Amino acid sequence: MNPVLRWFHQLGSPPYFDRFAARWAPWCYGLGALAMAWGVYGALFQVPADYQQGDSFRILYIHVPCAWMSMAVFALMAVYAAIALVWRIKLCEILAMACAPAGAAFTVATLATGSIWGKPMWGTWWDWDPRLTTELILLFLYLGVIGLYHAIDDRRQAARAAGLLAVVGIVLLPVIHYSVTWWNSLHQGQTISLFGESKMDPSMLPPLWWMVLGTHVWFVGSLLARARADNLRREAGKDWAAQAAGAAS
Amino acid sequence: MSYRNYVIAAYAVFAAMLLWDYLAPKLQLSQALRAIRLQYRRDAARRKPGAQA
Repeated sequence: MNPVLRWFHQLGSPPYFDRFAARWAPWCYGLGALAMAWGVYGALFQVPADYQQGDSFRILYIHVPCAWMSMAVFALMAVYAAIALVWRIKLCEILAMACAPAGAAFTVATLATGSIWGKPMWGTWWDWDPRLTTELILLFLYLGVIGLYHAIDDRRQAARAAGLLAVVGIVLLPVIHYSVTWWNSLHQGQTISLFGESKMDPSMLPPLWWMVLGTHVWFVGSLLARARADNLRREAGKDWAAQAAGAAS
Repeated sequence: MSYRNYVIAAYAVFAAMLLWDYLAPKLQLSQALRAIRLQYRRDAARRKPGAQA
């Protein structure tokens, strides 16, 4: 068998995943924190203040990566959930459900940092603007997935029900993305492009890319740690779990 | 205008979110491992000869 394919199959085994997550989660947290620390240093001390917004534009360096993560994590959760629904792979159920709290946290950070930026720039903490409203709906969807997962006793049924909500909820992502184009919006249009030309001066962008990299790597650490905990809870009666917990020799 | 307080507040929110995102899974993991250890001890005690059914 192809080694990559074999590794992929091995990863689906709960004990193998436990060892994998235990090994790599701390590295991801550490590397993510380092990348973000470098990004924050650049954002606060290296790039000059904006000629119109002053220092308030520095909030962008955390707001934009959080906003991207809020949507990327939801997309990943929906992909895992779809795989779990179709092929009944237990690990994919676990990973899908592990995405939700981290994604919700990034969404809260997006809304909070956007609100803090909005007060001095727009003169208000909140506006029922299409971008803000759709991002708030995304938070409610995350909370719905988390709530549904914890409302049903049977873990597998709970994951399937919550996964279905995640799959259906993915229709919101293009609405969030294009909300600034489809409707008159207080929120500015696309300023930063991952692949095309950004409207920001290139000298201002490096801290943002460090933050984007850092948040992604950090999220992988968080995902592995949460999935490991859920995996152990589900496999509590197995010998390998007792060994992992240090109960059995 | 520096808007320093707004910048500090935003970065504080972000740091708090990261801290929660780091500590919450750690807590879940330690609870799961503790539950497994307790369950193993209970099962081991039940399997001992002479233990009450």
